Amino acid sequence: MKKYFEKQRNLLDYALASLWRRKGKNISVFLVFSLVIFLLASFLFLSRSLQVAAQTTLRQTPEITVQRMVAGRQESMPLTYAERIRGIFGVRRVSPRVWGYHYNEVTGANITVMALAGDPELGREPLAEGAFWQQGEQGRAVIGQGVVKDLDLGGRRTFSFFRDDLTLKSFAVAGIFAPETNILTYDLVLLDIADGRDLFGLADDLATDLLVEVVNPLEIATVARKISERLPDTRVVTRPQIQGTYQAVFSWRSGVAAICLLSALSAFIILAWDKASGMSPEERREISILKILGWQTPDVLQVRFWEGFALSLLAFAAGAILAYVHVGYFQAALFRPVMMGWSVLRPGFDLVPIVQGGDLLLIFCLSVLPYLAATVVPAWRCAAVATDAAMGG
Amino acid sequence: MLVNPWSLALCLLAGLSLFLLGMASKTALRVMRSWQPASDSARQIGLEAEIWLSSTLVQYGLAFQVISLFLFVLAADHFSGMLAGAMCATGSLLANDYGLPLLAVKGTGIFLYGGWIVFHQLDISSETYPLVRFKYILLLCLLPFVVADAVLLILYLTALQPDIITSCCAIIFDAAPSGTVQNLVGGRHGQGLLLLHYGWAALLFAAGLVAWRRRQAFFYLLYGVGMLLFFGLALTTLVAEISSYIYAMPFHNCPFCMLKKEYGYFGFLLYIPLFFSVFCGVMAMVVELVKSRPGLGRRVAELQRVMVAVSLGALLLYSTLSAWHYLLYLVAGGEG
Amino acid sequence: MLIELENIVKIYNQGRVNEVTALDKVEMAVEAGAMVCLKGPSGSGKSTLLAIIGCIYPPTSGRAVIAGRQLARLPDRFLTMHRRRTIGFIFQRFNILPRISVFENVVLPLLPLGMSPKERRALAEPLLERYGIAHRRNFPAGEISGGELQRVAIARALINDPPIILADEPTAHLDSRLSRDFLADMLALKEEGRTIIMASHDPLVTEAAGVDRVYGVHDGRVTKDAC
Ligand SMILES: Nc1ncnc2c1ncn2[C@@H]1O[C@H](COP(=O)(O)OP(=O)(O)OP(=O)(O)O)[C@@H](O)[C@H]1O
Ligand SMILES: [Mg+2]
Repeated sequence: MKKYFEKQRNLLDYALASLWRRKGKNISVFLVFSLVIFLLASFLFLSRSLQVAAQTTLRQTPEITVQRMVAGRQESMPLTYAERIRGIFGVRRVSPRVWGYHYNEVTGANITVMALAGDPELGREPLAEGAFWQQGEQGRAVIGQGVVKDLDLGGRRTFSFFRDDLTLKSFAVAGIFAPETNILTYDLVLLDIADGRDLFGLADDLATDLLVEVVNPLEIATVARKISERLPDTRVVTRPQIQGTYQAVFSWRSGVAAICLLSALSAFIILAWDKASGMSPEERREISILKILGWQTPDVLQVRFWEGFALSLLAFAAGAILAYVHVGYFQAALFRPVMMGWSVLRPGFDLVPIVQGGDLLLIFCLSVLPYLAATVVPAWRCAAVATDAAMGG
Repeated sequence: MLVNPWSLALCLLAGLSLFLLGMASKTALRVMRSWQPASDSARQIGLEAEIWLSSTLVQYGLAFQVISLFLFVLAADHFSGMLAGAMCATGSLLANDYGLPLLAVKGTGIFLYGGWIVFHQLDISSETYPLVRFKYILLLCLLPFVVADAVLLILYLTALQPDIITSCCAIIFDAAPSGTVQNLVGGRHGQGLLLLHYGWAALLFAAGLVAWRRRQAFFYLLYGVGMLLFFGLALTTLVAEISSYIYAMPFHNCPFCMLKKEYGYFGFLLYIPLFFSVFCGVMAMVVELVKSRPGLGRRVAELQRVMVAVSLGALLLYSTLSAWHYLLYLVAGGEG
Repeated sequence: MLIELENIVKIYNQGRVNEVTALDKVEMAVEAGAMVCLKGPSGSGKSTLLAIIGCIYPPTSGRAVIAGRQLARLPDRFLTMHRRRTIGFIFQRFNILPRISVFENVVLPLLPLGMSPKERRALAEPLLERYGIAHRRNFPAGEISGGELQRVAIARALINDPPIILADEPTAHLDSRLSRDFLADMLALKEEGRTIIMASHDPLVTEAAGVDRVYGVHDGRVTKDAC
């Protein structure tokens, strides 16, 4: 057993030295391979961070959202609906929500205004400064980093929005969300529900939609079904559905990308096959010398395997690290336009590359394994050369 | 759901396995047609060199199979996020009729590849290569398996449809039969199963010791068959009983979640010894088939002893590790 | 007898158009500790005969027993295993890898045996000292002189401590002074009890001190010459 490992170590050493001796031949394979892996890894890292970002957003989505649909359009929701939902077994809490957009004509930005009743879920997000308003306080808002910039607040801590009838409603800034929460809060103005109704001119017994929390998360689907049976004119959207949709969409996108990149990979594999098949007379002689000196065919094959494995592992590491830098430091500059164009995420957040073991394994399977498989047969052709080349004169 | 990096990787692996085994089968056919050990012809020399190609290809095949099994479980876990009602890998596997057969084929594949390599090692240990034909017939038998693997994979993936929210539809349901816990083996079986499981393991252990001491074909047979049965029993018990002690949740019976980081990758500590134990135990029985071939008697006998010893060690490890959480539960008292 | 060849036939490329009968019914026997020469013109089959004695490939037919092992139609794998233990080969063209160091060249046969670097050094260093190439240890083998190369080849042939040493045209690339040095080295090896077989048409070799017997090789047939 010890002998076996010692032998593998010797062969590995020999393989590394031999790779190094043939730098010129191997460097092109290495560069192209690293590039392919870099592209692949960038795409997977990017889509993973977008996905995780989306999930962070979804963490804040209510378990069930109920909207009233009239003629295929969403309408305001009378609060009496909330009572009917509360009667369903398994529902823990129903809270009304008012939300809409505020269009800033100066900067052209769209600000999301959300008004919640009671103690808002979002209240658990950390603030950079200030504090949430107390229950019942009016005219106070907690705003995101983007809003501060957009309204050009500077040191001011008050701002006003136009109501629909062009009267002004002013707010005091109670707090500002911390930058880490940008993905959720960048363009958000959070208000108490009464302020929201005031701003959007909504009657006291109306809300934009209802958020439903359930006692047991496993029962989301059941409760959702009961709601839609009881209130046929509503659309019921559950958190798992949204999550599933996001994931499916993201993985479809990265799948499409992966298909494109696989064609790059196959081009590379052809190159690798070709490189591995061509054997210089010098190499042929080296192998026949080794064999005449007592190396078995499998030993030579093993050396070839280590060479290929080391080369592809190096390329893998180089490609993956570059991809990490690309996504994290350069914000995926190469792909961002494409991916973001499709995405439904808020602007102005930083991509944080997220590396998961599974993704690395995926990249490994999509790059290193095909390379190894493509080089077995050429490697065997090398290893099987007869000893003749070293004999005679 | 073919257009997805995970599906692509799985398909790619299946394709590569087909390629590897296809190449190896070419050698197999040539060997069957024109193997002439006494000849010094260029063709025979070429065939002898091809033995190393085919064995290397199968070794790669084994490695790919192990990786692909692992990847498949990971992928199933990943898919569960996109399928309504699937909470972990089990859900994705049960999402259509092909998931479980595919898993079974992948698992069996590992045994077959491994078995082939054992026969190959035996073959090349004797100067006359007495198992050449035998092992290449075996290799050709592996081929349908690899094809089945690929076909089932494609069927499984195409039948897997993510539930996308479509806004044209006003009312959307999750497809899940909610409130029920998905489980591979149905309801709980209670302490009886655990008792049977460990009782069987103890009997097996005794049988293995006897086989190790007596070195007779009959005991190897007994141990091997016992092992095969134990494999089924162990998997059932793992799913139905042991898993919930690992998760410390009475109704969480997933055989895959324990492979994840949340549970300290504990599953690997169970599955790897179990696989090893069963593989070695069964191989100790199977190699008896070729004991009478010229020049193999002693080698096979040695191998059987080693196999049984490894198998016993792995069995002991598996039994201890699988009982670990249960014992913890007994000692710490059942708060669950 | 350490080496017994009976009725050895070697046909290259059997079954193809370029079929060549390199050895034709060769009979030969060499006792342990002997020093034997094969003499013959180019293309007569000397290298082929050495390759069969050296377990590099099996004979097409005939009985060959080398160091107690019957070789006929043994698969390559087992020939190699036997060769590792019993044969040290000094090749016609040295067969030294020019781009790796002298030391690495000498220990090449040890790598697949699973020997640790320490064990390798312990085996190689005395040989490097003995043949006066220790100071060239880390030179690429392509950058040392012909005489040194020859001694590297000897050191490598001895690294497994083989009972049989085979040398194919050992003096072809050496001047007469280096040739004499080489023959002195061979004589020393003979005195250690090793069996030595050299193939050469150089009279310096065939008439060297210590040569017990000279076989003539002509068109694949071997005859026993007088000394
Ligand atoms: N690998 C080979 N394949 C085919 N023919 C070969 C091979 N090696 C040698 N031969 C042929 O076998 C015959 C004997 O060759 P061999 O190399 O044994 O002669 P030699 O006596 O060593 O000659 P030299 O003095 O030139 O080295 C020659 O006709 C040669 O062409
Ligand atoms: Mg010659």
